[in-house]
Amino acid sequence: MRSADDTVGGRQAPTVSPARRKWRPYILSIPATVILIGILYPFVQGVGYTFLNYRATEGDVHFIGLGNYLQVFTDPLFWGSVRITLTFAIVATALETVLGVIIALLLNRSSLIGKIFEKVLILPLMIAPVIAGVIWKLMFNPQFGILNHIFNLGSTFDFLSEGRALWSIIMVDAWIYTPFVAILVLAGVRSLPKEPFEASAVDGAGWFYMFRRLMLPMMWPYILVAVIFRFMDCLKVFDIVYVLTQGGPGHATSTLQVNAYINSIINFNYSGGATYMFILWIIVYLTAQQLVKLLGRAQARAAGSEA
Amino acid sequence: MNSPFTEPMSRRRILQGLGLAATAPLLAACVGPGQKSTNNGSNAVTGSFDWQKVKGTTIKILQTPHVYQQTYQPLFKEFTDLTGIQVVADLVPEADYYTKLNTELAGGSATHDAFMMGAYWVWQYGPPGWLEDLDPWINNTAATGSEFDYEDFFDGLRTSMKWDFKLGDAAGTGGTYALPWGFELNNIAYNKTVFDKKGIKPAETFDNLIQLAIDLTDRKNDQYGIAFRGSKSWATIHPGFMTQLSREGGKDYELKDGKLTAAMNSPVAVDFTKKWADLAKQAGPTSWTTYEYPNCTGDLGDGKAMMVYDADSATYPKNVKGASKIAGQIAWHQGPAGPGGSLATNLWTWCWGMNSKSKNKLAAWLFMQWAAGKDAMNKAVQSGAFADPVRQSVFNGTFKQTLGGFPGYLEAFEAQVPQAKVLFTPQTRFLETTEDWAVALQSIYGGSDAKSTLDALVTSNTNKVNS
Repeated sequence: MRSADDTVGGRQAPTVSPARRKWRPYILSIPATVILIGILYPFVQGVGYTFLNYRATEGDVHFIGLGNYLQVFTDPLFWGSVRITLTFAIVATALETVLGVIIALLLNRSSLIGKIFEKVLILPLMIAPVIAGVIWKLMFNPQFGILNHIFNLGSTFDFLSEGRALWSIIMVDAWIYTPFVAILVLAGVRSLPKEPFEASAVDGAGWFYMFRRLMLPMMWPYILVAVIFRFMDCLKVFDIVYVLTQGGPGHATSTLQVNAYINSIINFNYSGGATYMFILWIIVYLTAQQLVKLLGRAQARAAGSEA
Repeated sequence: MNSPFTEPMSRRRILQGLGLAATAPLLAACVGPGQKSTNNGSNAVTGSFDWQKVKGTTIKILQTPHVYQQTYQPLFKEFTDLTGIQVVADLVPEADYYTKLNTELAGGSATHDAFMMGAYWVWQYGPPGWLEDLDPWINNTAATGSEFDYEDFFDGLRTSMKWDFKLGDAAGTGGTYALPWGFELNNIAYNKTVFDKKGIKPAETFDNLIQLAIDLTDRKNDQYGIAFRGSKSWATIHPGFMTQLSREGGKDYELKDGKLTAAMNSPVAVDFTKKWADLAKQAGPTSWTTYEYPNCTGDLGDGKAMMVYDADSATYPKNVKGASKIAGQIAWHQGPAGPGGSLATNLWTWCWGMNSKSKNKLAAWLFMQWAAGKDAMNKAVQSGAFADPVRQSVFNGTFKQTLGGFPGYLEAFEAQVPQAKVLFTPQTRFLETTEDWAVALQSIYGGSDAKSTLDALVTSNTNKVNS
């Protein structure tokens, strides 16, 4: 005989057989498992390649242990790439963050111009980075590029020369992604409570004091979210660099991703390319972990639970 | 103590088992491609030759937009009428062409039955078995028409299509892995109007070429002395650079004790490389490190570059009426001779390769045979833009008749062709090591010390080619 607990809303609850009850968790996890396998399969395969001497043009593929890692770590090109990648990631992220925060604060004032710029600001984000790279490459051209013409640099100033290429690429990255930071921070600024600001205004606090003591600590988690996104993305930069310089002149802009691509796709050295990619993954993973920890602390501080 | 075999199956152990099971096929998959193909398709073709043997077939070919491709495109209909075979041509821009082709062939794809390629690719695509050996096809009378006349191709071109895949062995040994289609000799094309106006003649030595290029440079008026390639690519090395380096006595590799030793740091090579990079800086285009051949020939055609050191067939179209600002004003010269009078010239061929995985090998072969055949080539040359046909009969006949308004072209060709061949040493890492060479050249252009940069390149390349 069924008890009252077996009825839901006056209706009879469906009976579930013990076998079905036992298998239900597994059945429910199938979609997640399929997606996980889709992600992990190529990842594990890629890691597997790093222990082989796998080149598309050579048939004798065999296990070489840590040979690829030894080769990479003893190659000055690798350390040069690490330096270039980190320089790019740090400078581009810092530039985009500072500019993005400034723009967000300016747009926060609800003037007509602010409202118009808010809409216009998103335009660079709507252009694929590869296309943006092609457009900037044309603008950088010393012979017919508009930049040399506007700044009256003549036909001998080369934005993509060995000494300037990295900084020019950072400039292009900042042009594309500063709006991303600005929009994220602007959303954060607009969600801040008004009361603390009103109270400090009544107490006679100045604008800069309020910004430093109130606004900045409260919007810090939003800034950090933007920094995490941008820094991770910058570490993996490929498209803009490849379109503008292909990692050149010489090795001046050879980031880790560009080297991985050249190894794998141009030189058929799948194991060499996979080794670069795996090392980059470790760097990105460890950096992300630290930044997320930092974000957690900032959120706690903004919520007032930590001094 | 519990034995692992008697423990009950926990969820963790199930996951461990699944993980190990998944790893096995992954590692097995690592050893997939790269197997040599031994099944030559010509064995299946018997009987008498007939263009209509596989009527109704459709083949896919891969091409890059190029004057040769554009000249042949309208002729495809004639091939279809002749054979009943439909041709679907996919075009990929040259900058991405080999990336596309590499990826496709490395993946064992049979999407494209035949494709345009350069002779150097025989060394890279041949050893893993991606290319069909064409010797059995050429020698099979059931597959090849009697009018094909393989000996009609210039000797240096036939040689450059062959290799036995043994390190240190020269081109010309082993099977034939491509059919020549069009070729190029590297020499100087110059703005004849400016030269005549100033009363100057092309330089006969490399040092004079440097001085002449500097003298012709006028940055204020956006005019510079000489254009040659400088991008981060193997293609920067093979035209003017390799040609002039060889004339000056330099080499890429030397065979010592059965091993290849890179020779890019020999005293001759260091001196030449330094001069070449300085020439680019003093009298070349400002953004030289991005320059590919269309930039060079474009600047010549626009009247910005006074000279171009590149393929004659690349500069040739700029002189065709209406094709450029200075059309009709370009002339050619064989370029500076080396100290001993050497006019060694690196040649480049566009040729046709057959995918060894193709499901339509006979149809693909009929297409290649037609494209490299006398009839189609004569028609392509008559269109006025197909320079340097690979067949002696077509070159000496139709092509020479079209050369009226191209001063110096034929003279330069005839002076160079006896010493023209592929000047690189065949080796399977050609693309990688030659791109590294271009990177070193860019670094020297950027201010790095030539000797130490080339020493590092030699160490790296010697290891790579012998590994």
